[in-house]
Amino acid sequence: MREVYAVGIGITSFTRLEYPLVEIAGYASILALKDAGLDQVDQVYLANMAAARLNHQTAVASALVDHLNLQPAGAATIENGPASGAAAIKEGFQAIASGMADTVMVTGAERMSEVNQLEATDVVASLSHPLSEAIYGVTLPSLAGMFTRLYMEKYGVTRRHLALVAIKNHANALMNPFAHVQTAISLEGILDGPDAPTNNPIIADPLHFFDVCPVSDGGACVILASAEVAKKLKKPLIRLAGVGQATDTHAVHERENPTDLLAVRLAARKAYEMAGIKPADVDVAELHDAFTILEIAESEEVGFFKKGEGHLALEQGETKIGGKIPINTSGGLKAKGHPVGATGVGQAHEIVTQLRGAGFKRQVKNAKVGLTLNFGGFGNNVVCLVFAKE
Amino acid sequence: MQKEILGYKCRKCGHVQYPYRTRCRKCGETVFEGNDIVFDTVPLPRDGKLLTYTDLYALPPEFEVVKLTLGIIELEGGQRVTGQLRVDKPQLGMKLHAEVEVVRKDAYSKNWGFVFYPA
Repeated sequence: MREVYAVGIGITSFTRLEYPLVEIAGYASILALKDAGLDQVDQVYLANMAAARLNHQTAVASALVDHLNLQPAGAATIENGPASGAAAIKEGFQAIASGMADTVMVTGAERMSEVNQLEATDVVASLSHPLSEAIYGVTLPSLAGMFTRLYMEKYGVTRRHLALVAIKNHANALMNPFAHVQTAISLEGILDGPDAPTNNPIIADPLHFFDVCPVSDGGACVILASAEVAKKLKKPLIRLAGVGQATDTHAVHERENPTDLLAVRLAARKAYEMAGIKPADVDVAELHDAFTILEIAESEEVGFFKKGEGHLALEQGETKIGGKIPINTSGGLKAKGHPVGATGVGQAHEIVTQLRGAGFKRQVKNAKVGLTLNFGGFGNNVVCLVFAKE
Repeated sequence: MQKEILGYKCRKCGHVQYPYRTRCRKCGETVFEGNDIVFDTVPLPRDGKLLTYTDLYALPPEFEVVKLTLGIIELEGGQRVTGQLRVDKPQLGMKLHAEVEVVRKDAYSKNWGFVFYPA
Protein backbone atom coordinates (compact mmCIF):
# COMPACT_ATOMS: atom_id res chain seq x y z
CA MET A 1 0.00 0.00 0.00
CA ARG A 2 1.15 3.54 -0.74
CA GLU A 3 1.34 6.07 2.06
CA VAL A 4 -1.40 8.71 2.30
CA TYR A 5 -1.07 12.28 3.62
CA ALA A 6 -3.59 14.95 4.68
CA VAL A 7 -2.36 18.02 2.81
CA GLY A 8 -5.25 20.47 3.03
CA ILE A 9 -8.14 21.22 5.38
CA GLY A 10 -11.15 23.52 5.36
CA ILE A 11 -14.29 23.93 7.43
CA THR A 12 -17.40 26.11 7.71
CA SER A 13 -18.87 27.17 11.02
CA PHE A 14 -21.08 24.39 12.35
CA THR A 15 -24.28 26.32 13.04
CA ARG A 16 -27.49 27.21 11.23
CA LEU A 17 -26.36 28.11 7.70
CA GLU A 18 -28.68 29.86 5.25
CA TYR A 19 -26.98 28.46 2.15
CA PRO A 20 -27.82 25.51 -0.11
CA LEU A 21 -26.08 22.24 0.77
CA VAL A 22 -23.72 22.33 -2.20
CA GLU A 23 -22.54 25.84 -1.34
CA ILE A 24 -21.82 24.71 2.22
CA ALA A 25 -19.80 21.79 0.85
CA GLY A 26 -18.16 24.08 -1.71
CA TYR A 27 -17.05 26.62 0.88
CA ALA A 28 -15.24 24.04 3.02
CA SER A 29 -13.77 22.44 -0.11
CA ILE A 30 -12.37 25.61 -1.63
CA LEU A 31 -10.70 26.52 1.67
CA ALA A 32 -9.07 23.09 1.74
CA LEU A 33 -7.93 23.24 -1.89
CA LYS A 34 -6.37 26.66 -1.27
CA ASP A 35 -4.79 25.38 1.96
CA ALA A 36 -3.22 22.50 0.03
CA GLY A 37 -2.23 24.73 -2.89
CA LEU A 38 -4.12 22.55 -5.40
CA ASP A 39 -6.71 23.54 -7.98
CA GLN A 40 -7.53 20.10 -9.31
CA VAL A 41 -7.92 16.61 -7.83
CA ASP A 42 -8.26 13.12 -9.29
CA GLN A 43 -11.23 12.05 -7.17
CA VAL A 44 -13.96 13.64 -5.03
CA TYR A 45 -15.94 11.95 -2.25
CA LEU A 46 -18.81 13.84 -0.67
CA ALA A 47 -20.03 12.44 2.63
CA ASN A 48 -23.70 13.20 3.21
CA MET A 49 -26.40 11.27 5.00
CA ALA A 50 -29.75 12.69 4.05
CA ALA A 51 -29.80 15.31 1.27
CA ALA A 52 -32.47 13.26 -0.51
CA ARG A 53 -34.85 13.74 2.42
CA LEU A 54 -33.65 16.97 4.01
CA ASN A 55 -32.85 18.99 0.89
CA HIS A 56 -34.66 17.07 -1.89
CA GLN A 57 -31.40 16.66 -3.76
CA THR A 58 -29.56 13.50 -4.84
CA ALA A 59 -26.16 12.82 -6.47
CA VAL A 60 -24.68 15.70 -4.51
CA ALA A 61 -21.04 14.76 -5.25
CA SER A 62 -21.65 15.41 -8.97
CA ALA A 63 -23.21 18.75 -8.05
CA LEU A 64 -20.17 19.65 -5.93
CA VAL A 65 -17.72 18.83 -8.72
CA ASP A 66 -19.68 21.09 -11.05
CA HIS A 67 -19.92 23.86 -8.44
CA LEU A 68 -16.12 23.91 -8.10
CA ASN A 69 -15.22 23.28 -11.79
CA LEU A 70 -13.43 20.07 -10.87
CA GLN A 71 -14.51 18.10 -13.96
CA PRO A 72 -13.47 15.53 -15.08
CA ALA A 73 -12.53 14.27 -11.55
CA GLY A 74 -14.21 11.04 -10.48
CA ALA A 75 -16.93 11.64 -7.91
CA ALA A 76 -19.21 9.70 -5.58
CA THR A 77 -21.47 10.47 -2.66
CA ILE A 78 -20.77 8.37 0.42
CA GLU A 79 -23.81 7.71 2.61
CA ASN A 80 -22.96 5.77 5.73
CA GLY A 81 -25.25 7.30 8.34
CA PRO A 82 -23.49 9.43 10.95
CA ALA A 83 -20.21 7.68 10.00
CA SER A 84 -20.41 8.96 6.41
CA GLY A 85 -17.53 11.40 6.96
CA ALA A 86 -14.87 8.97 8.11
CA ALA A 87 -16.16 6.32 5.69
CA ALA A 88 -15.52 8.81 2.86
CA ILE A 89 -12.01 9.43 4.20
CA LYS A 90 -11.48 5.66 4.17
CA GLU A 91 -12.55 5.59 0.50
CA GLY A 92 -10.07 8.40 -0.22
CA PHE A 93 -7.34 6.50 1.60
CA GLN A 94 -8.03 3.38 -0.47
CA ALA A 95 -7.98 5.34 -3.74
CA ILE A 96 -4.52 6.73 -3.01
CA ALA A 97 -3.07 3.68 -1.25
CA SER A 98 -4.05 1.51 -4.22
CA GLY A 99 -2.44 3.87 -6.71
CA MET A 100 -5.71 4.71 -8.46
CA ALA A 101 -5.49 8.38 -7.48
CA ASP A 102 -2.78 10.81 -6.37
CA THR A 103 -5.10 13.47 -4.97
CA VAL A 104 -8.55 13.05 -3.39
CA MET A 105 -10.86 15.72 -2.02
CA VAL A 106 -12.99 14.34 0.81
CA THR A 107 -15.76 16.72 1.81
CA GLY A 108 -18.55 16.15 4.31
CA ALA A 109 -21.64 18.33 4.42
CA GLU A 110 -25.16 18.31 5.81
CA ARG A 111 -27.88 20.94 5.89
CA MET A 112 -30.37 19.85 8.53
CA SER A 113 -32.09 23.13 9.33
CA GLU A 114 -34.19 22.87 6.18
CA VAL A 115 -36.60 20.82 8.35
CA ASN A 116 -37.53 21.30 12.02
CA GLN A 117 -35.57 19.55 14.77
CA LEU A 118 -38.06 16.74 15.41
CA GLU A 119 -38.17 15.93 11.70
CA ALA A 120 -34.37 16.01 11.53
CA THR A 121 -34.25 13.58 14.47
CA ASP A 122 -36.75 11.33 12.68
CA VAL A 123 -34.69 11.39 9.47
CA VAL A 124 -31.63 10.28 11.44
CA ALA A 125 -33.79 7.62 13.19
CA SER A 126 -34.46 6.08 9.77
CA LEU A 127 -31.10 4.34 10.18
CA SER A 128 -32.62 2.13 12.92
CA HIS A 129 -34.15 -1.26 12.13
CA PRO A 130 -37.42 -0.47 10.29
CA LEU A 131 -39.62 -3.24 11.68
CA SER A 132 -38.09 -4.01 15.03
CA GLU A 133 -37.06 -0.51 16.17
CA ALA A 134 -38.29 2.42 14.07
CA ILE A 135 -42.00 1.51 14.25
CA TYR A 136 -41.93 1.90 18.02
CA GLY A 137 -40.80 5.52 17.83
CA VAL A 138 -37.15 4.71 18.44
CA THR A 139 -34.81 7.67 17.89
CA LEU A 140 -31.07 7.87 18.42
CA PRO A 141 -31.58 9.70 21.74
CA SER A 142 -33.85 6.86 22.93
CA LEU A 143 -31.24 4.21 22.08
CA ALA A 144 -28.67 6.31 23.91
CA GLY A 145 -31.02 6.70 26.88
CA MET A 146 -31.47 2.92 27.20
CA PHE A 147 -27.70 2.42 26.87
CA THR A 148 -27.01 5.09 29.51
CA ARG A 149 -29.35 3.47 32.04
CA LEU A 150 -27.46 0.17 31.75
CA TYR A 151 -24.08 1.89 31.93
CA MET A 152 -25.10 3.73 35.10
CA GLU A 153 -26.40 0.52 36.66
CA LYS A 154 -23.32 -1.53 35.76
CA TYR A 155 -20.42 0.90 36.16
CA GLY A 156 -21.63 3.56 38.59
CA VAL A 157 -21.71 6.38 36.06
CA THR A 158 -23.92 9.20 37.36
CA ARG A 159 -25.62 12.23 35.84
CA ARG A 160 -22.75 14.26 37.31
CA HIS A 161 -20.25 12.39 35.13
CA LEU A 162 -22.40 13.04 32.07
CA ALA A 163 -22.58 16.72 32.99
CA LEU A 164 -18.78 16.86 33.31
CA VAL A 165 -18.45 15.71 29.68
CA ALA A 166 -20.82 18.46 28.56
CA ILE A 167 -19.08 21.14 30.65
CA LYS A 168 -15.64 20.17 29.31
CA ASN A 169 -16.76 20.12 25.70
CA HIS A 170 -18.64 23.40 25.97
CA ALA A 171 -15.49 24.96 27.46
CA ASN A 172 -13.40 23.60 24.55
CA ALA A 173 -15.92 24.91 22.03
CA LEU A 174 -15.47 28.43 23.42
CA MET A 175 -11.91 28.22 22.06
CA ASN A 176 -13.09 27.02 18.64
CA PRO A 177 -14.54 29.78 16.43
CA PHE A 178 -16.21 27.17 14.18
CA ALA A 179 -18.18 25.54 17.02
CA HIS A 180 -21.98 25.69 17.06
CA VAL A 181 -22.56 26.15 20.79
CA GLN A 182 -20.65 29.06 22.30
CA THR A 183 -22.00 28.90 25.84
CA ALA A 184 -20.20 28.07 29.07
CA ILE A 185 -22.26 25.80 31.32
CA SER A 186 -21.82 24.81 34.97
CA LEU A 187 -22.85 22.00 37.31
CA GLU A 188 -25.09 24.49 39.08
CA GLY A 189 -26.83 25.53 35.90
CA ILE A 190 -27.50 22.06 34.51
CA LEU A 191 -27.50 19.70 37.50
CA ASP A 192 -27.47 21.11 41.05
CA GLY A 193 -29.01 24.58 41.00
CA PRO A 194 -32.67 25.54 41.43
CA ASP A 195 -33.01 26.36 37.73
CA ALA A 196 -31.34 23.16 36.52
CA PRO A 197 -34.61 21.25 35.85
CA THR A 198 -35.83 24.14 33.68
CA ASN A 199 -32.48 24.72 31.95
CA ASN A 200 -31.87 21.05 31.37
CA PRO A 201 -35.12 19.12 30.75
CA ILE A 202 -35.31 15.38 30.09
CA ILE A 203 -34.93 14.30 26.46
CA ALA A 204 -34.59 10.52 26.83
CA ASP A 205 -34.29 9.70 30.50
CA PRO A 206 -31.65 9.56 32.01
CA LEU A 207 -30.31 11.83 29.25
CA HIS A 208 -31.18 15.51 29.48
CA PHE A 209 -30.94 18.40 27.03
CA PHE A 210 -27.27 19.09 27.77
CA ASP A 211 -26.37 15.42 27.20
CA VAL A 212 -27.42 15.60 23.57
CA CYS A 213 -25.65 17.21 20.60
CA PRO A 214 -27.34 20.03 18.67
CA VAL A 215 -28.77 19.67 15.17
CA SER A 216 -26.31 21.59 12.98
CA ASP A 217 -25.56 22.56 9.42
CA GLY A 218 -21.96 22.53 8.27
CA GLY A 219 -19.25 21.34 5.96
CA ALA A 220 -15.66 20.18 6.34
CA CYS A 221 -12.99 19.03 3.91
CA VAL A 222 -9.71 17.14 3.98
CA ILE A 223 -7.49 16.83 0.89
CA LEU A 224 -5.56 13.56 0.74
CA ALA A 225 -2.47 13.02 -1.41
CA SER A 226 0.19 10.46 -2.19
CA ALA A 227 3.67 10.88 -0.66
CA GLU A 228 5.01 12.10 -3.97
CA VAL A 229 2.45 14.91 -4.19
CA ALA A 230 2.54 15.70 -0.47
CA LYS A 231 6.30 16.22 -0.48
CA LYS A 232 6.00 18.85 -3.24
CA LEU A 233 3.39 20.87 -1.30
CA LYS A 234 4.64 23.21 1.40
CA LYS A 235 2.56 21.83 4.25
CA PRO A 236 3.43 19.95 7.45
CA LEU A 237 3.51 16.23 6.65
CA ILE A 238 0.55 14.64 8.42
CA ARG A 239 0.16 10.98 7.50
CA LEU A 240 -3.13 9.10 7.63
CA ALA A 241 -1.40 6.21 9.32
CA GLY A 242 -4.25 3.97 10.40
CA VAL A 243 -7.76 3.25 9.15
CA GLY A 244 -10.12 0.77 10.79
CA GLN A 245 -13.80 0.04 10.31
CA ALA A 246 -16.11 -2.47 11.96
CA THR A 247 -19.82 -3.24 12.13
CA ASP A 248 -22.28 -4.65 14.68
CA THR A 249 -25.92 -5.82 14.68
CA HIS A 250 -28.46 -3.46 13.14
CA ALA A 251 -31.00 -3.75 15.97
CA VAL A 252 -29.39 -2.77 19.27
CA HIS A 253 -31.49 -5.34 21.21
CA GLU A 254 -29.69 -8.20 19.46
CA ARG A 255 -26.29 -7.44 21.02
CA GLU A 256 -25.13 -10.06 23.44
CA ASN A 257 -23.78 -7.55 25.93
CA PRO A 258 -25.70 -4.31 25.48
CA THR A 259 -23.08 -2.17 27.28
CA ASP A 260 -20.30 -3.22 24.89
CA LEU A 261 -19.60 -1.21 21.75
CA LEU A 262 -17.83 -3.99 19.89
CA ALA A 263 -17.58 -2.16 16.57
CA VAL A 264 -15.76 0.71 18.32
CA ARG A 265 -13.33 -1.71 19.92
CA LEU A 266 -12.62 -3.56 16.66
CA ALA A 267 -12.37 -0.45 14.45
CA ALA A 268 -9.85 1.09 16.86
CA ARG A 269 -7.87 -2.15 17.07
CA LYS A 270 -7.57 -2.29 13.28
CA ALA A 271 -6.51 1.37 13.06
CA TYR A 272 -3.85 0.94 15.76
CA GLU A 273 -2.54 -2.18 14.06
CA MET A 274 -2.18 -0.45 10.69
CA ALA A 275 -0.52 2.57 12.30
CA GLY A 276 1.73 0.35 14.43
CA ILE A 277 0.85 2.19 17.65
CA LYS A 278 -0.83 1.56 21.00
CA PRO A 279 -3.66 3.57 22.62
CA ALA A 280 -1.09 5.15 24.97
CA ASP A 281 0.71 6.69 21.97
CA VAL A 282 -2.30 8.88 21.12
CA ASP A 283 -1.86 12.55 22.15
CA VAL A 284 -5.27 13.94 21.19
CA ALA A 285 -8.60 12.39 20.17
CA GLU A 286 -11.93 13.38 18.71
CA LEU A 287 -14.60 10.92 19.87
CA HIS A 288 -18.22 10.75 18.68
CA ASP A 289 -20.04 12.34 21.65
CA ALA A 290 -23.47 12.68 20.05
CA PHE A 291 -24.53 11.86 23.61
CA THR A 292 -22.33 12.51 26.65
CA ILE A 293 -22.35 8.82 27.62
CA LEU A 294 -20.71 7.94 24.31
CA GLU A 295 -17.57 9.92 25.04
CA ILE A 296 -17.15 7.94 28.26
CA ALA A 297 -17.91 4.53 26.70
CA GLU A 298 -15.81 5.17 23.59
CA SER A 299 -12.83 6.38 25.64
CA GLU A 300 -12.84 2.88 27.14
CA GLU A 301 -13.49 0.92 23.94
CA VAL A 302 -10.63 2.66 22.05
CA GLY A 303 -8.34 1.60 24.89
CA PHE A 304 -7.55 4.89 26.63
CA PHE A 305 -9.06 3.56 29.86
CA LYS A 306 -10.22 0.20 31.20
CA LYS A 307 -13.85 -0.76 30.57
CA GLY A 308 -15.98 0.86 33.24
CA GLU A 309 -13.31 3.39 34.28
CA GLY A 310 -13.73 6.14 31.69
CA HIS A 311 -15.91 8.20 34.01
CA LEU A 312 -13.25 8.05 36.73
CA ALA A 313 -10.56 9.36 34.35
CA LEU A 314 -12.94 12.10 33.28
CA GLU A 315 -13.49 13.06 36.91
CA GLN A 316 -9.71 13.31 37.38
CA GLY A 317 -9.46 15.74 34.46
CA GLU A 318 -7.46 13.32 32.32
CA THR A 319 -9.51 14.13 29.22
CA LYS A 320 -9.20 17.93 29.48
CA ILE A 321 -6.71 19.94 27.45
CA GLY A 322 -3.52 19.57 29.53
CA GLY A 323 -4.66 16.15 30.81
CA LYS A 324 -3.26 12.73 29.93
CA ILE A 325 -5.37 12.32 26.78
CA PRO A 326 -7.35 15.42 25.75
CA ILE A 327 -10.67 14.40 24.16
CA ASN A 328 -12.80 16.58 21.89
CA THR A 329 -10.64 19.71 21.89
CA SER A 330 -12.94 21.04 19.14
CA GLY A 331 -15.93 20.90 21.47
CA GLY A 332 -16.97 17.52 20.08
CA LEU A 333 -20.34 16.81 18.54
CA LYS A 334 -21.79 17.99 21.83
CA ALA A 335 -20.73 21.62 21.38
CA LYS A 336 -18.94 21.94 18.05
CA GLY A 337 -22.10 20.50 16.49
CA HIS A 338 -23.22 17.48 14.48
CA PRO A 339 -24.06 18.09 10.82
CA VAL A 340 -24.29 14.31 10.43
CA GLY A 341 -22.54 13.68 7.12
CA ALA A 342 -19.87 16.29 7.86
CA THR A 343 -18.99 15.11 11.36
CA GLY A 344 -16.31 12.52 10.55
CA VAL A 345 -14.52 14.95 8.24
CA GLY A 346 -14.85 17.69 10.86
CA GLN A 347 -13.15 15.40 13.39
CA ALA A 348 -10.25 14.85 10.95
CA HIS A 349 -10.07 18.62 10.42
CA GLU A 350 -9.56 19.12 14.16
CA ILE A 351 -6.89 16.43 14.46
CA VAL A 352 -4.91 17.76 11.48
CA THR A 353 -5.19 21.26 13.01
CA GLN A 354 -3.82 19.92 16.30
CA LEU A 355 -0.96 18.00 14.65
CA ARG A 356 -0.03 21.11 12.67
CA GLY A 357 0.17 23.00 15.98
CA ALA A 358 -2.50 25.41 14.74
CA GLY A 359 -5.02 24.94 17.57
CA PHE A 360 -4.32 28.33 19.20
CA LYS A 361 -5.89 28.44 22.68
CA ARG A 362 -7.05 24.84 22.46
CA GLN A 363 -3.72 23.49 21.18
CA VAL A 364 -2.51 20.28 22.81
CA LYS A 365 1.25 20.67 23.42
CA ASN A 366 3.53 18.51 21.27
CA ALA A 367 0.65 16.60 19.70
CA LYS A 368 2.18 14.07 17.30
CA VAL A 369 -0.46 11.35 17.05
CA GLY A 370 -4.21 11.95 16.87
CA LEU A 371 -7.26 9.68 16.64
CA THR A 372 -10.81 10.15 15.36
CA LEU A 373 -13.74 7.86 16.12
CA ASN A 374 -16.82 8.29 13.94
CA PHE A 375 -19.80 6.28 15.22
CA GLY A 376 -22.60 5.37 12.81
CA GLY A 377 -25.99 3.96 13.66
CA PHE A 378 -26.09 3.30 17.34
CA GLY A 379 -22.65 1.74 17.06
CA ASN A 380 -23.40 -0.58 14.16
CA ASN A 381 -20.89 1.01 11.76
CA VAL A 382 -17.78 2.64 13.16
CA VAL A 383 -14.69 4.12 11.53
CA CYS A 384 -11.49 4.93 13.41
CA LEU A 385 -8.64 6.96 11.92
CA VAL A 386 -5.12 7.56 13.22
CA PHE A 387 -3.11 10.55 12.00
CA ALA A 388 0.62 10.97 12.69
CA LYS A 389 2.91 13.95 12.27
CA GLU A 390 6.20 13.21 10.50
CA MET B 1 -58.00 -11.95 14.04
CA GLN B 2 -55.37 -12.14 16.73
CA LYS B 3 -52.18 -10.33 15.69
CA GLU B 4 -48.80 -11.85 16.47
CA ILE B 5 -45.19 -10.74 16.13
CA LEU B 6 -43.37 -13.55 14.36
CA GLY B 7 -39.96 -15.03 14.94
CA TYR B 8 -38.19 -16.90 12.15
CA LYS B 9 -37.11 -20.45 12.96
CA CYS B 10 -34.15 -21.80 11.01
CA ARG B 11 -34.98 -25.09 9.25
CA LYS B 12 -31.41 -26.28 9.79
CA CYS B 13 -30.58 -25.50 13.42
CA GLY B 14 -33.95 -24.50 14.89
CA HIS B 15 -32.73 -21.10 16.15
CA VAL B 16 -35.54 -18.52 16.29
CA GLN B 17 -34.37 -15.12 15.14
CA TYR B 18 -36.02 -11.73 15.33
CA PRO B 19 -35.98 -9.55 13.30
CA TYR B 20 -36.03 -11.43 9.98
CA ARG B 21 -32.80 -11.77 8.05
CA THR B 22 -31.90 -13.89 5.04
CA ARG B 23 -29.24 -15.94 6.86
CA CYS B 24 -29.67 -17.64 10.21
CA ARG B 25 -27.92 -15.54 12.86
CA LYS B 26 -26.78 -18.68 14.67
CA CYS B 27 -25.66 -21.24 12.08
CA GLY B 28 -25.32 -18.94 9.05
CA GLU B 29 -27.50 -21.16 6.83
CA THR B 30 -30.05 -20.06 4.24
CA VAL B 31 -32.48 -22.86 3.41
CA PHE B 32 -34.08 -22.81 -0.05
CA GLU B 33 -37.21 -24.56 -1.33
CA GLY B 34 -36.97 -24.09 -5.07
CA ASN B 35 -36.38 -20.35 -5.51
CA ASP B 36 -37.86 -19.47 -2.11
CA ILE B 37 -35.93 -18.80 1.04
CA VAL B 38 -37.81 -20.55 3.82
CA PHE B 39 -38.03 -20.16 7.58
CA ASP B 40 -40.80 -21.54 9.82
CA THR B 41 -42.65 -18.65 11.44
CA VAL B 42 -43.48 -18.93 15.11
CA PRO B 43 -45.28 -16.33 17.26
CA LEU B 44 -42.78 -14.79 19.68
CA PRO B 45 -43.49 -15.41 23.39
CA ARG B 46 -45.45 -12.63 25.11
CA ASP B 47 -43.77 -12.80 28.51
CA GLY B 48 -40.38 -11.49 29.41
CA LYS B 49 -38.28 -9.29 31.67
CA LEU B 50 -37.24 -5.68 31.26
CA LEU B 51 -33.54 -5.17 30.46
CA THR B 52 -33.50 -1.39 30.03
CA TYR B 53 -35.84 1.49 29.19
CA THR B 54 -36.08 5.21 28.56
CA ASP B 55 -38.78 7.86 28.83
CA LEU B 56 -38.56 9.68 25.52
CA TYR B 57 -39.85 13.26 25.43
CA ALA B 58 -38.56 14.33 21.98
CA LEU B 59 -40.82 12.26 19.76
CA PRO B 60 -41.11 11.73 16.05
CA PRO B 61 -43.67 14.23 14.70
CA GLU B 62 -46.62 11.85 14.23
CA PHE B 63 -46.74 10.72 17.87
CA GLU B 64 -49.46 12.74 19.54
CA VAL B 65 -48.33 12.13 23.12
CA VAL B 66 -45.95 14.01 25.42
CA LYS B 67 -43.92 11.00 26.44
CA LEU B 68 -43.25 7.51 25.16
CA THR B 69 -41.60 4.81 27.25
CA LEU B 70 -39.44 2.45 25.20
CA GLY B 71 -37.64 -0.62 26.44
CA ILE B 72 -35.60 -3.67 25.53
CA ILE B 73 -37.20 -6.87 26.80
CA GLU B 74 -35.80 -10.39 26.98
CA LEU B 75 -38.61 -12.80 26.12
CA GLU B 76 -39.00 -16.23 27.67
CA GLY B 77 -37.55 -17.89 24.58
CA GLY B 78 -34.39 -15.82 24.99
CA GLN B 79 -35.04 -13.46 22.07
CA ARG B 80 -34.70 -9.80 22.81
CA VAL B 81 -37.06 -7.22 21.38
CA THR B 82 -37.61 -3.48 21.50
CA GLY B 83 -41.11 -2.39 22.45
CA GLN B 84 -43.30 0.30 23.95
CA LEU B 85 -44.00 0.16 27.68
CA ARG B 86 -47.21 1.08 29.50
CA VAL B 87 -45.78 0.79 32.97
CA ASP B 88 -46.00 3.50 35.64
CA LYS B 89 -42.71 2.90 37.39
CA PRO B 90 -40.50 0.61 35.33
CA GLN B 91 -37.87 -1.38 37.23
CA LEU B 92 -34.98 -3.21 35.57
CA GLY B 93 -35.64 -6.95 35.71
CA MET B 94 -39.42 -6.64 36.24
CA LYS B 95 -41.70 -9.16 34.53
CA LEU B 96 -43.79 -7.84 31.66
CA HIS B 97 -46.50 -9.19 29.38
CA ALA B 98 -46.98 -8.00 25.80
CA GLU B 99 -50.06 -7.20 23.77
CA VAL B 100 -49.81 -6.61 20.04
CA GLU B 101 -51.25 -3.18 19.29
CA VAL B 102 -50.90 -0.32 16.84
CA VAL B 103 -47.62 1.33 17.83
CA ARG B 104 -47.19 3.87 15.05
CA LYS B 105 -49.53 5.25 12.44
CA ASP B 106 -49.59 8.00 9.90
CA ALA B 107 -52.08 9.07 7.24
CA TYR B 108 -51.29 6.03 5.09
CA SER B 109 -50.40 3.11 7.30
CA LYS B 110 -50.63 1.45 10.69
CA ASN B 111 -47.79 -0.50 12.28
CA TRP B 112 -48.50 -3.23 14.81
CA GLY B 113 -45.98 -4.11 17.46
CA PHE B 114 -45.33 -5.12 21.07
CA VAL B 115 -46.77 -3.01 23.87
CA PHE B 116 -45.67 -4.29 27.29
CA TYR B 117 -47.69 -4.12 30.50
CA PRO B 118 -46.79 -5.28 34.03
CA ALA B 119 -47.22 -9.07 34.12
